[in-house]
Amino acid sequence: MESIKNNPLVKRIGFNRLVLICVLILMYAAFAIISPTFLSYSRILSALSYAYFLGFLALGVTFVIGTAGIDFSIGPVMFCAALVSGQLLTKSGWPLILCLIVSIVVGLLFGTLNGFLVAYCHVPPFITSLAIMQISKGLGSVFTKAQSVSWPQATQKNGWYRYLVKAKIGGVEIPSGLIILLIVAVICSIILNKTKVGRNILCLGSNKEAVRLSGVNVKKWEMIAYIICGVLAGIAAIFFVGAYTTIQPGLGDQYNNEAIAGCVMGGTSMAGGVASIGGTVIGVMIIALLQEGILAMGFTKDYQLVITSIIVIIAVYADILSRRRKN
Amino acid sequence: MGEVILTMKGIDKSFPGVHALDHVNFEVRKGEVHALMGENGAGKSTLMKVLTGIYKKDSGTITYEGKETEFASPRDAQDAGVVIVHQELNMMGHLTVAQNIFIGREFMKGGIIDDARMNEETEKLFDKLHINIDPTKKMGKLTVGKQQMCEIAKAISQEAKVIVFDEPSAALTESEVEELFKIIRDIREKNLGIIYISHRIDEIKVITDRVTVMRDGGYVGTLITKECTKEDIIKMMVGRVIYEAPKQKSNVAKDAPVVLKVEHLNAGKLVRDVSFELRKGEILGFSGLMGAGRTETARVLFGADPKESGDIYINGRKVDIKTPMDAVAYGIGYLSEDRKRYGIVVEKSVAENSTMVALKNFMSGIFINKKKEKEVAEKYVEKLKIKTPGVEQLVVNLSGGNQQKVIIAKWLVKDSDILIFDEPTRGIDVGAKSEIYHLMNEFVTEGKSIIMISSEMAEILRMSDRIVVMCEGKKIGEIDISEATQEKIMSMATLRN
Repeated sequence: MESIKNNPLVKRIGFNRLVLICVLILMYAAFAIISPTFLSYSRILSALSYAYFLGFLALGVTFVIGTAGIDFSIGPVMFCAALVSGQLLTKSGWPLILCLIVSIVVGLLFGTLNGFLVAYCHVPPFITSLAIMQISKGLGSVFTKAQSVSWPQATQKNGWYRYLVKAKIGGVEIPSGLIILLIVAVICSIILNKTKVGRNILCLGSNKEAVRLSGVNVKKWEMIAYIICGVLAGIAAIFFVGAYTTIQPGLGDQYNNEAIAGCVMGGTSMAGGVASIGGTVIGVMIIALLQEGILAMGFTKDYQLVITSIIVIIAVYADILSRRRKN
Repeated sequence: MGEVILTMKGIDKSFPGVHALDHVNFEVRKGEVHALMGENGAGKSTLMKVLTGIYKKDSGTITYEGKETEFASPRDAQDAGVVIVHQELNMMGHLTVAQNIFIGREFMKGGIIDDARMNEETEKLFDKLHINIDPTKKMGKLTVGKQQMCEIAKAISQEAKVIVFDEPSAALTESEVEELFKIIRDIREKNLGIIYISHRIDEIKVITDRVTVMRDGGYVGTLITKECTKEDIIKMMVGRVIYEAPKQKSNVAKDAPVVLKVEHLNAGKLVRDVSFELRKGEILGFSGLMGAGRTETARVLFGADPKESGDIYINGRKVDIKTPMDAVAYGIGYLSEDRKRYGIVVEKSVAENSTMVALKNFMSGIFINKKKEKEVAEKYVEKLKIKTPGVEQLVVNLSGGNQQKVIIAKWLVKDSDILIFDEPTRGIDVGAKSEIYHLMNEFVTEGKSIIMISSEMAEILRMSDRIVVMCEGKKIGEIDISEATQEKIMSMATLRN
């Protein structure tokens, strides 16, 4: 075991992440045996579609959890962004590109509000994000007068945004969403590991008071984590409608759990200070595959909620155990 | 004084690496107020914790009411009649006085709490003790002094035979102390044994019958209060042999400029009108007992806690320090007394911890220049002799002394000119300790200035050029190292004014 752990390649990828990749492959194999449709390319693409928006949510929440915070508003904020921008696109006739920007701006605003309340007003993140979850649900519904919003199909006018999720080149469908997700993940990884933003976010997540007493502006950096999270929720909205078209007001909370599950499973610690972007991406893949698999096995959506929540608890408990062992 | 009610004999207690109690003897008679004195860390609280069953003794005997006893828990001790009145009171502010006194043993009437009867009983109890408090008043509305009286009354109502007062006067005003003494004399009349822990020698002289002094976990001796002087007690408290030679005279040039001037600093109870000056190349020692307000003063000066009033001048220029960010910008560095909580980020590496303050200097555009970071960190690992396999090592894996050096490195990388070292060698082994002393001397030769807060008398005498002594939030005075003695410092540190 130790010799595997010390192998330079294994060390580079990270032992825990390798285990997760194995879990992902085994899970896929199991589902493929139960339901052979999983072997088809189009089925894989549809499973992946679930991973894109969830991936952006989870990448964002990775920063927040890195500060030892939490954000339960990402799912509903994503829905609110999609509702507002979709309403402007379909009802008010705003140009598509502007609507995509609006979606991101909506996420940015909620993230900023959340971060401001947590960092500058010292309201516990648990409370602020629950409140913002409800606010975003309410405002989204008010904006669309409680109607659902359907974004255009690929063949319709303004449908090109769907190529962000799935593009067709020479008759072959390619997962463009995956490419964009990976590019954004690389950018996130650089921010987290190579810039002042990430350094300060993780340090303050580990010991905020020590960082404050080092003369670091902890409030600013803590708020920035929530802003990044909000922006990514705005981006997630585009990929959600790109895959599933229709948005209903008042929903979105189930994705909180799923994104947090992916993030924590990937090795980001709820206690803050330790975060892994690569882990989050793999974790999200597992969660997305699981959601598809649960449905493929003939269970209803309700089981998704149960199983995802159990995974959150197991992943957090595993993190607590490993910390206890270290101390 | 009556017969002996409680005897502790040859009490021994060790924790990993610390011999906390070394064959301590202590006794209390009925109708006696017996003071327990000693510096910080002398072992007073540990002894009381052994008495009330919080710690288990390694050896020795406790004889209570003629029988050898070992209480299993504070609850057990309380049931037998040994009660501690704590410094922090354990009262529920939203309940009435009577409800607090009878908490956990309320009078019931048909399954309902009988408040009327509890008020009546409390009234009776207070009459007996000449306490004048309305039993129906909410506890939270009372002053700390009155709350303390309620706690004493509660102890008496539980048929306490031995009452331990842990620094009872620390939070009281002068007139409240008078009242407290009246009650203590009253219960002494009732033939209870009273243990009185306090730093204030003047009070000890007034209220106690005997004084037992502890030092470094050992028993020094017991005196009859009437027959001894303050100086006798102080001598017993500090009478240890100091192995390291104290500094003979100040190394600071007579005309060295003042780099930091603090005037009339106020913040809460523990920073009251504090003024002092720090000169270039000086180590200014801050001495005092626990709760003297030294750390609080440092934190306010550093912007970690808000100040109420006062002026701070750096190199003669008045500055406004509101946050640690401001303090860092003015070249002040702060090494906290609580390394784990306020000093290091345990999950981060030696390199990351040491560049935390001056991260700005390690940026190439938006990216952190990790190569430069590593080089600088390695330089300081070498300079400070930090024992670590590499600068990538997580700080959590380092020993206490090396963690402390990483924090020092952090401020050196920033090139801070004024360093506040709060208990710089607490919990550090002897070797690392002398290395840190060596470094401090090196820093002042390089022209930096140091404020060193220390509860260790030997450290104060060995390192300081000048010593500020604080007591209860106030600066009592300053002593030049050439005139400093343990006795002088201790008598200032125990002075109430």
